[in-house]
Amino acid sequence: MLPELPSPKLERWKYTNLERALKKIKLTPTALGWGSDVKLLNPHAPGEAQYKDTQLWDLNTSHTKDIKFITSDETIEIIAAEGHWLSPRLVIQVKDGQTVTVIERQNGQGAYWKNGVAQITIGKNAKLRHYRIFEEAEGAVSTQFIHVKIGRDGTYEGFNHIEGAGLIRNQVHTELIGENGTFGIAGLNLLRGEQHSDTTITIEHKAPHCNSNQTYKSVLDGKSRCVFQGKVHVHQIAQKTDGYQLSNALILSPQAEMDTKPELEIYADDVKCSHGATTGKLDEEPLFYMRARGIPEKEARSLLITSFCAQAIDTITDEGIQGNIKEKMAQWLASRT
Amino acid sequence: MIKIKNLKAEIDGKEILKGIDLEIQPGKVHAIMGPNGSGKSTLSYILAGREEYKVTAGDIELNGESILEMAPEERAAKGVFLAFQYPVEIPGVQMTTFMKTALNSVRKARGLKELDALDFLKLMKSKCKELGISDEMMKRAVTVGFSGGEKKRNEVLQMAMLEPKFSVLDETDSGLDIDALKIVADGVNKMRGGDKSFLVITHYQRLLDYIKPDVVHVLAGGRIVKTGGPELAQELEKTGYANVA
Repeated sequence: MLPELPSPKLERWKYTNLERALKKIKLTPTALGWGSDVKLLNPHAPGEAQYKDTQLWDLNTSHTKDIKFITSDETIEIIAAEGHWLSPRLVIQVKDGQTVTVIERQNGQGAYWKNGVAQITIGKNAKLRHYRIFEEAEGAVSTQFIHVKIGRDGTYEGFNHIEGAGLIRNQVHTELIGENGTFGIAGLNLLRGEQHSDTTITIEHKAPHCNSNQTYKSVLDGKSRCVFQGKVHVHQIAQKTDGYQLSNALILSPQAEMDTKPELEIYADDVKCSHGATTGKLDEEPLFYMRARGIPEKEARSLLITSFCAQAIDTITDEGIQGNIKEKMAQWLASRT
Repeated sequence: MIKIKNLKAEIDGKEILKGIDLEIQPGKVHAIMGPNGSGKSTLSYILAGREEYKVTAGDIELNGESILEMAPEERAAKGVFLAFQYPVEIPGVQMTTFMKTALNSVRKARGLKELDALDFLKLMKSKCKELGISDEMMKRAVTVGFSGGEKKRNEVLQMAMLEPKFSVLDETDSGLDIDALKIVADGVNKMRGGDKSFLVITHYQRLLDYIKPDVVHVLAGGRIVKTGGPELAQELEKTGYANVA
């Protein structure tokens, strides 16, 4: 039996039908064996009253038997198998003045469901680099919900590399609660077949002089569908907010679809907020120019797609991870038919 | 040798080229002059293999082999080069990456060993020096923010790197001041001779003062209406196209 799930009737679930995807999978609640004797669990998601789209957080709370408490550099691999219903919970705390790098590698085989939650607090003058690499199986459903709270002079640098699952929802909720905090999130969606990827981000500016930046690049092939909903909510107190949101999509096939919904909700009067959203095809002019110089068509396309994605990948400050993402991108392009 | 036989072509159902015959021997430079809308740029695009144009009759042969069915990259590998009238900007792709990918693609197709990064840089620097081009240009994204002159010099550099057998220069003189024009012309003149053929397409006679053609053709209304020696260009400069078109 499936639990109660967010329905597409909800505004923020408009483009993603979770129930339809999960109905196809026979699920058994499964644990990774991390253990769950950690007390720091927020049973309910922040923003519940306001956004009413937090059921999956609560579901994770009621099911999780895997809680990991992270305060220093760590690489976590979460691997699922056929029929698994996993509910992993990450609790990441970066203490004042510290810099921590957390790498998540998410993959698996067969049809499964991961309903993950990460609750993150970043202390004063602290920094978290959070790199998440999703290479989930084609038959998998992955719903991810992270909440980030950033203190004074704190920084979050996030990157989401998304090549799968069959259906993936990445929900992000951030609160900038101290002055001069920075929230930066970037991502790549590389989708093909009938894949569906939904990124829904809410950023609450609750203190003055904070920056937020979203940089997403999506490359859509086959009959894939991509959703980007990004909301910047500037509270009255948050003067001198600087918020920017960018979502660019490249459609490689006439059957692919991109839905973009940028939202700005601003109650302070001295802020700088803007967004840019584009959806388009590869330009024919540069393609012909490259081919006329002898570069085979497939390679010319790959070069253009790589350059399209560069702006997102360039936000990664860890050179090793940046190289890793570039390699994955090249592999994805090479496997295109 | 390049041989164009009774070439007819259209775009969106409109016939642009109405039967072109042209033969360029190895080592020779031909010029095509003509008024706007005569089909000059169409001809250059078709030679390079642009797919939007539909060839309805005739053939194009390079050294006895038809290139009509070949993709643009295959033509480039066989030795066809088009210097664009308006070189394209490709933000995010560095000139060096672009040039190395192009050169190695062509070398691979020609059965030559691909160059590693070091050998490539050496070659590029020596070609830049030879042509009087600053190699700082190669660190930038493909033609992004290049001046008109830089764009055209860059085309000549690419030509020198790829060593084509048959080069088409499509209105290379447009938007150039005299100094840039000289650099471009010098570049072409250095490559002249041997078995390399050139087709220089231009509206004005000015470029032909610097690149002396062996043969001049006048293209008007999709046909070659007159052929002669270099003196034909001088004549056109005086009388204009009204008498030939």
